[in-house]
Amino acid sequence: MMAVGISGYGIYIPRFRIKREEYAKAWGSFSAAGVTEKSVFGFDEDALTAAAKVTRRALESVPMEADMVTRFALATTSAPYLEKLLSGTVLVSVGIPNSAFTSDHTSSTRAGTEAMLAAFEHVMATQSGKAVVAAADAPKASMWDAVEHAFGAGAAAFVISSDNLIAELEGHFSYASEHFGERFKPKDDPLVRDLNVKKFAEGSVVRNTTSAGSALLKKLGRKPEDYQHVVIQQPDARVPVTVASRLKFTDAQLASSLVSKTLGDLGAASVPVALASALDAAKAGDRIMVISYGSGAGSDALSFKVVTDKKATVRVQADTERREYIDYVKYLKIKGAIQ
Amino acid sequence: MKKVAIVGAGQSRYGDFPDKGIKELFFEAYKDMISSVDNGIDPKSIESAYIGNLGSGGFQLGNMSALVTEYCGLTHLNTMRIENACASGGYAIIAAAMDVLSGAHEVVLAGGVEKMTDVSGMKQKYWLGVSGDTEYERLAGTTFAGLYALMAQRHMHEFGTKREQLSMVAVKNHKNGAQNPKAQFQREITMEQALKGPIVAHPLNLFDCCSTTDGASALIICDADMAKKYTDTPVYVAGFGGASDFLAIHDRVSTVALEGTKRAAAAAYKMSGLSPKDIQTAEVHDCFTIAELLAYEDLGFCEKGKGGQYMEEGHTKLDGDRPVNASGGLKSKGHPIGSTGTGMAYEMFNQLRGTIQKPARQVKGAEVGLIHNVGGSGGTVAVSILRR
Amino acid sequence: MAHVSVPMYWRTIPQRYKLIGYKCKKCGAVNFPPKGVCKQCQSSSEFEETHLSGRGKVHTFVLISAGGAPPEFAEQEKAGGQYPVAIVELEEGPKVIGQIADIDPKEVKIGMPVRTELRKIYTEEEVIRYGFKFVPA
Ligand SMILES: [Zn+2]
Repeated sequence: MMAVGISGYGIYIPRFRIKREEYAKAWGSFSAAGVTEKSVFGFDEDALTAAAKVTRRALESVPMEADMVTRFALATTSAPYLEKLLSGTVLVSVGIPNSAFTSDHTSSTRAGTEAMLAAFEHVMATQSGKAVVAAADAPKASMWDAVEHAFGAGAAAFVISSDNLIAELEGHFSYASEHFGERFKPKDDPLVRDLNVKKFAEGSVVRNTTSAGSALLKKLGRKPEDYQHVVIQQPDARVPVTVASRLKFTDAQLASSLVSKTLGDLGAASVPVALASALDAAKAGDRIMVISYGSGAGSDALSFKVVTDKKATVRVQADTERREYIDYVKYLKIKGAIQ
Repeated sequence: MKKVAIVGAGQSRYGDFPDKGIKELFFEAYKDMISSVDNGIDPKSIESAYIGNLGSGGFQLGNMSALVTEYCGLTHLNTMRIENACASGGYAIIAAAMDVLSGAHEVVLAGGVEKMTDVSGMKQKYWLGVSGDTEYERLAGTTFAGLYALMAQRHMHEFGTKREQLSMVAVKNHKNGAQNPKAQFQREITMEQALKGPIVAHPLNLFDCCSTTDGASALIICDADMAKKYTDTPVYVAGFGGASDFLAIHDRVSTVALEGTKRAAAAAYKMSGLSPKDIQTAEVHDCFTIAELLAYEDLGFCEKGKGGQYMEEGHTKLDGDRPVNASGGLKSKGHPIGSTGTGMAYEMFNQLRGTIQKPARQVKGAEVGLIHNVGGSGGTVAVSILRR
Repeated sequence: MAHVSVPMYWRTIPQRYKLIGYKCKKCGAVNFPPKGVCKQCQSSSEFEETHLSGRGKVHTFVLISAGGAPPEFAEQEKAGGQYPVAIVELEEGPKVIGQIADIDPKEVKIGMPVRTELRKIYTEEEVIRYGFKFVPA
């Protein structure tokens, strides 16, 4: 069977950062476990502007002209419109042909890997097709809700094709189930809610991620120690540690991708940005296990083998270190959250 | 060829008048104009009227010239609204002069009126911003202060123009305006105040910017052959010119000159047979302090790039060799958009006849004066040269 | 609000999203945004579309404060403080106005290299108007 995988990637972390201490000053506490600071979009940025930026960066890293792209998949939970095709904005701005098939994946934080799998399916079906997946997100909740504390901003894009591979897809396994009352947006409200039934919600995360992850390991005949890197959905910096240990992955395997400590919860872009961070650190021959999670609930697990030492032009670490700290008042003003 | 003369001129007070609309303001200027005609004038002899107006907050965009003239008892006119943004009044003069020169009419009214303070601050900015390039300049987040600041920044970069030289324009014009009983701001400001104003669009601060103003002005323009019927001391329109340019300053060849000013002035100089050295006093369009320095250069009063120095050397002060904006200018007298150009002519009419109300502001012995009226950031410019 | 209707804005998408310039077939000057007649030679109406790089240098700039922001940008100024607007000379020749994003306003200098990227320009009638802004290159 033809090898398909990632032939280029690009990331973007916006410049603004807010520290946990700013929340502690404002509210007396900070609810995002293990997160010390997080990234914030500028006033004139959103999921679409960030998606355009990472799409361009991903194509430049190959390098590939935008007019080669035949499939574009966008993932976000913070779409600037509840109804309107979103990918067109990115497609036109980057110069991807109007004839490329586009899809918008928006209903949960699993959207990033949904979009990746849609892209892989396209390349496998067409063989010569070139796909781009862009995940960009800045989840939004009421400032009164503790779930808001973790929400950061960031984006990553991948060029998916069958040549010039950086990392080859070895296999994938998905798991979906029925769960509710954890992270959701009710009808007619664009803000994320969480009923905060903690053990109940954690149970869903653990069940879906470990089910997808262990099934993929079994399918590929692998053990956790066969992997140098594991990338797990990061609603905060504690959940991925819990999930990793349940699956018998170590903290060392998690280290290269634990971006939530300094960027917060990147929503649908969490796993994509974390995967880019792992790719930045990986050497040829390394294996990467990727496990996403979306409330409601479901998980996708993907296994990659890194085949070259080629890297993106802008590393996650470089963009993470480029930062300007803002206080909580400016944060609320930028978010337009004072209501 | 026929010649054109101004035989009467009137102006309302400029300022903020909650109790007056465009009709009342225009009527105030109209009455002042009628009473200024030395030998009197029968209003029924006025055949045409050209009224400069930007929009007055959008309340009467259509048929506004008929509205303000019928309020004055004139219902028989060939009348129209003239709109070229802040240069509307200057173009009303040109339209009136051309009407007379064509032979179509002999006695023509050129006026202007604007009501800026009836609307909210945000709507004022809306109206002040509709005369630039809406698609690109406005949507880059600029109003006119921003556009003139772009010119000021580049002027400073290319020619070493100093921040203090900009403020000297504000100080001078407020000093003049303090002596003008019809000015909006009849008070002097200090150099320190002018330098320390709150930033509006860096490098321009509040004291570099003119205000929003209500006001009206009106002139009687007639065939020069019949001028002496109305007065022994008419003021002649020796030359005029109107010229356009790219609306957006990014499209222009230079960001440190208004080509529209150069072209309009060249036409006015040519028609009058005069040159910059003949201009003894001028009313120039100082919507922002940098605009007055650009005007010195583009009208030929000094070399390109030397506007700041020309200001600093004092040539344009009241006691200088070529006083500019003796009225206080837009800065201190006020800038009721549509009225600004005809208001300049009102000032120059009185300067050249020696009839300025307060002697402190009277330019001694001036026979030739120039008025310079800019639309927006220079998309249109009207220049007229008046002569005793 | 500066009323720019949705169709009026939409017609400028080739410029705002993709920086399509128009090269005069007679004199070679790149017109951006487009003109009916070439702004350079003022004698030709025949153009060839060309994709501009978006790279250029700051020709002049202004820092807009509260008093200088038009109503549709007032919220941006209130949230983020003064914002820079520049006229940028693009490497293909034309000058064009735009905001500079992603920079401390104090850092803006004449001559500094910048490049375009897609940003939200403003919102009118609840429709987000996207377009290019400059960022440090
Ligand atoms: Zn040409």
